[in-house]
Amino acid sequence: MRKKRKITTGEIVLFLILLMLAITTAIPVLFVFTTAFTDESVLASEGYRLLPSALSLDGFRAVLKYGKKLFVSYGVTIFVTVTGTIFGILVMSMYGYVLSRKDFPLRKFLTVFLMIPMLFSGGQLSMYIIFTSLYHMKDNILLLILPQSVQTIYVIILRTYITSSVPGELMDSARIDGAGEYTTFFRIVFPLMKPALASVGFMMATMYWNDWQNALLFMDSDNKKPLQLLLINIQRSIETLLSNRNIPSAALAAMQGRVPQYSATMATVVVVILPVMIAYPFFQKYFIKGLTIGSVKY
Amino acid sequence: MKIPRRFRALILMALPGVLILFFFDYMVMGGLVLAFKNFDYRLGIWSSPWSGIENFRFLIASRSTFFTITRNTLMYYVIFTVTGMILEISLAIAMDQLVFKRIGKVMQSIFVIPVFISFTAVQFIVYAFLSTDMGMINHLFGLSVRWYLEAKYWPVILTIVKLWSGTGYGAVLFMSVLAGIDPGLYEAAQMDGAGKWQQIWHITLPLLKPMVTIMLLLSVGGVLHSDTGLFYQVTRNSGSLYDTTQVLDSYILNAVFHNADFGFTAAASFFQSVVGTMLILLANMAVRRINPDDSLF
Repeated sequence: MRKKRKITTGEIVLFLILLMLAITTAIPVLFVFTTAFTDESVLASEGYRLLPSALSLDGFRAVLKYGKKLFVSYGVTIFVTVTGTIFGILVMSMYGYVLSRKDFPLRKFLTVFLMIPMLFSGGQLSMYIIFTSLYHMKDNILLLILPQSVQTIYVIILRTYITSSVPGELMDSARIDGAGEYTTFFRIVFPLMKPALASVGFMMATMYWNDWQNALLFMDSDNKKPLQLLLINIQRSIETLLSNRNIPSAALAAMQGRVPQYSATMATVVVVILPVMIAYPFFQKYFIKGLTIGSVKY
Repeated sequence: MKIPRRFRALILMALPGVLILFFFDYMVMGGLVLAFKNFDYRLGIWSSPWSGIENFRFLIASRSTFFTITRNTLMYYVIFTVTGMILEISLAIAMDQLVFKRIGKVMQSIFVIPVFISFTAVQFIVYAFLSTDMGMINHLFGLSVRWYLEAKYWPVILTIVKLWSGTGYGAVLFMSVLAGIDPGLYEAAQMDGAGKWQQIWHITLPLLKPMVTIMLLLSVGGVLHSDTGLFYQVTRNSGSLYDTTQVLDSYILNAVFHNADFGFTAAASFFQSVVGTMLILLANMAVRRINPDDSLF
């Protein structure tokens, strides 16, 4: 029973503080958008500003102009994100289902086998040498997908979800009716795992979308470079331009149009981060639920 | 031992996961033998000659480099963990106390969004603030600091970037714990005349303790692992900043690209993995001794 009561001053102060904090958090993000729409000449004379004095769509036009690369990179990133997420979810939820079966003799072993990689890792150098020198997988797009497809913490979230939210009687009765493990899992358990799948799926997708390190380490061909790597390359070409102050002005003029301009760069950043920002609100509910399940002690 | 028929299906279902962990995690752990080898790319990992502890001599010989990167790694771990925890808990409590729930939802989305922006993209935002000629900071305050050449500012800059990026996300975890607290506890405290601050101090914080312990324990395993994107991308991997921004992970990444100091890197890599794991085991042991319920395993 809650009575309506007056809102106290303290509560208003708290609200104002949080509001200010939220604005501060949002400003850098807004900044990306305003810069992307800023007129290039204004950028050059006034520098970066939150509220530029002249707007233009040139940044986005430039992105479209050197857009073939962007198009290919978008394709690579989408391919990696979609296949990786679906594959990872499938493999991890099967593993989680097996761990949820208390009568399975190998359960203990599989749990330890899963936990060790969280506590101990070989590090980047060893990873690089093993993947390139032993597996000969350099420039193989599978390296953007497979190594990250099984994450200990997500398997645990999925397992905990099965044991806590999928009724055991349902699985038992399916087995009594003669359903095998596959049928029980794919027909009964998997469909009931939707909230957990949505939350883990979103986290996996973001991880794949934002991964740059594996791409930087392993991908060489232009047609296998994901968006994040494209961003790194843009930054590097700006860097080269800035560090070579002795480039003759004629050469600079000739490069005009090929060198990414500042507004175009930010427009690219917009194109890279926008999909995740649009997707997030739809997944927020599940995402938070997933984190909550994950924090249950295992 | 004969495996009952019904378990065969389960084994097959776990198999893909087992194979992936084996080839992409366990084999990489095996790769740590590199620290004891004189690696030659043409010979491959198994045929390269053993070198004993030669590589670790490099590590000790280059005292200053190794010291600097280890110091930076530890320093950032401490700064990020302490400031991060305090801010995350404060934000979670503040959001929990907020009476305007609907606008709270919107705020929460805003707080969490930055964690989904990769550091490759964040570095362009940071550049917009810090660029010498065009940056907003220099413009606003009429300065002409060359931020990307001045190492001394970067511990602060990186901490701000890290807090901006991760605090909202971290707070969500604590908020989920707060949401589970029985409101009856607060009501009882209120009856006894406890104010808001007293309630937070005597009820909320103690109930958050198990979560804090687990988060700290998990983070201890990563003491020597840093968020590589933050140190490699956001600093634009600028050499002038290495003194305060080079951490073990970014050092190793640079070394992989430049094929430089192989022995040194392999030894540093080994040090990173083994010491990291030892720390988490030790911390867990300590926690188990104090309060077994809070320990990880």
